[in-house]
Amino acid sequence: MASSNKKINKKDIGKLLNEWSQEFTVFVPSRETGTATMAKWDGKDTSFLDWYRNTVVSPKANILPPMEEMFHFQKDKEGYHIELPPLDGHKQLIFGIRPCDANALAILDMTFNDSYEDPYYLSKRNNTILIGLGCTNPYDSCFCTSLGSSPTDATNVDLMLTDIGDEFLIEAITDKGKELMANISLAEEATEADEAKAKEAREAAYNKVTRQLDIKNIDEKLLASFDNQDYWEKIAAKCISCGICTLLCPTCYCFDINDELLKGQGARFRSLDSCSFPVYTKMPMENPRLEKWRRVRNKVCHKYEFYPMNFDVIACTGCGRCIRLCPVNWDITQTLDIVPAKA
Amino acid sequence: MTVTDISQGKRFLAQGNVYLPHIAVIEKVIDETPGVRTFHFNFKDEKLRAEFTFESGQFGEYSVFGVGEAPFCISSSPTRRDHLEFAVQQVGRVTNALHRLGVGAEIGFRGPYGNSFPMNFLEEKNLIFVAGGIGLAPLRSLIWNVLDNRNKYKKIDIIYGARSPSDLCFKYDLDSWNKDKTVDMVTTVDKGDESWTGREGFVPQVLEQVAPPAQNAVAIVCGPPIMIRFTFPVLGKLGFTPEQMITTLEKRMKCGIGKCGRCNVGNLYVCRDGPVFTYAQIKKFISTEY
Repeated sequence: MASSNKKINKKDIGKLLNEWSQEFTVFVPSRETGTATMAKWDGKDTSFLDWYRNTVVSPKANILPPMEEMFHFQKDKEGYHIELPPLDGHKQLIFGIRPCDANALAILDMTFNDSYEDPYYLSKRNNTILIGLGCTNPYDSCFCTSLGSSPTDATNVDLMLTDIGDEFLIEAITDKGKELMANISLAEEATEADEAKAKEAREAAYNKVTRQLDIKNIDEKLLASFDNQDYWEKIAAKCISCGICTLLCPTCYCFDINDELLKGQGARFRSLDSCSFPVYTKMPMENPRLEKWRRVRNKVCHKYEFYPMNFDVIACTGCGRCIRLCPVNWDITQTLDIVPAKA
Repeated sequence: MTVTDISQGKRFLAQGNVYLPHIAVIEKVIDETPGVRTFHFNFKDEKLRAEFTFESGQFGEYSVFGVGEAPFCISSSPTRRDHLEFAVQQVGRVTNALHRLGVGAEIGFRGPYGNSFPMNFLEEKNLIFVAGGIGLAPLRSLIWNVLDNRNKYKKIDIIYGARSPSDLCFKYDLDSWNKDKTVDMVTTVDKGDESWTGREGFVPQVLEQVAPPAQNAVAIVCGPPIMIRFTFPVLGKLGFTPEQMITTLEKRMKCGIGKCGRCNVGNLYVCRDGPVFTYAQIKKFISTEY
């Protein structure tokens, strides 16, 4: 049986990205700034194919940037006038998004679509094509398989690429993906042998994720332990409230809104915020989460208890950033391993 | 995927964007206490002025352009549509900027957001309003709403307290409710001054002395968190079930529509799932999170 999938030689990825650049702003993994991010493709460099495991800054930054203008305003004799920046959103293509980060966007969609649609998030999200790239070399901090996913999970991308040696197998997942695949000039039909190699690659990658987390009844355990201050103080002890786990987390979305003013003109911006910061909940007279253990509890419970209560899904994809990028080696999997089953 | 329409279909979006404020003009400023002012305002846009509706208990996000945005409940009643009101205690950046504004100044408003008091549930019931300080602001919208439809409700008790006589807000309302023979009004202060001839004592204690029967009653509570925390146990002692205790909560907020994250009490967002809650809904988390 002929496969409906295609394949492309790794040497041709540069040409493929050039083809896509005609229609989209193409983003690829880059270390140009010193930190691995998804950056605009420079038109030639494909060396990321050799070094790329995952970016430090997750591709959520392409949809929910660290800072963005919401509107600007100015005052004249008639009063204030408010102007929206253009929201139509340029068409962007993110090449090489990992399954964990693509799954995270599907989780963010729930919040930003819920009730009032968020025009800033959705205008970018709806104009973004995701080209997934399955992992071949997961980190020891990765635990996607514990959350029902895998390093080659194609659920939430448009096109999925799987490393089969000198080539990538290409699968079209969505209608947009099918359209894209049909137009790749350098792709060839995948053979049964290619499919077999892909299957092998998927299994190998799956088995390389060694960190395990038992999520069975985790929301119920957390609910039962909500008032267990001893446990939370122990868990929070080494946290320094730097916020890096939340700012880099692909499913964290909390934001702040602030005005900037210059000579009668101004703008309102939103920027990422973090529940790790005491000021996040500070009110003039009081602060419900002034103590560190309450903030750590909120972070953990939001992902593993509250989000499941509200949206039936754990707001964590096991990308492992909060483990490998934490300056004090705080570890979500250890935290959840020792949640007391009862209060 | 859960998609709930928390706006109940009532969306008054500026330029179709939920984060854009409407321009509104301040029409009157009332000094309530040395730190609290009430602002009367109306939308600049005539069409919106005519179309805008809200329910008692809902709030808005108010902008002072260039300074920022902050949430306040709409303190006037939807039964009185001539203008809208909100009350502000001078405590932070945005509230200080608001206090500097006078009649004619332009502010931004987006909303109304949040749920509202369960009007159908309150009908044919005895209502006990328990408020402290500026916590009267959201209840005031409901009290006038109820009084403007007086025959739908049974006995009405209002227990209102503040730290000192000068901290009592809405004195013009307190006067009308005192004179209203269909309302039992008790005003108390934590500590009186030389001219104070009324009651002294904290709101929860006074509530215990007044001891309204729980039979066919609903208590609606709003005040500083410490007052709310001490009021629920008193109501419990009086025989009120958690479903008969209603409160409206305040938290630091930014977006007002359940996205920016910070106002949660457990899995509930005060802006999106509240601000009106029964004690039954929040008792799991309120002990430590509020």
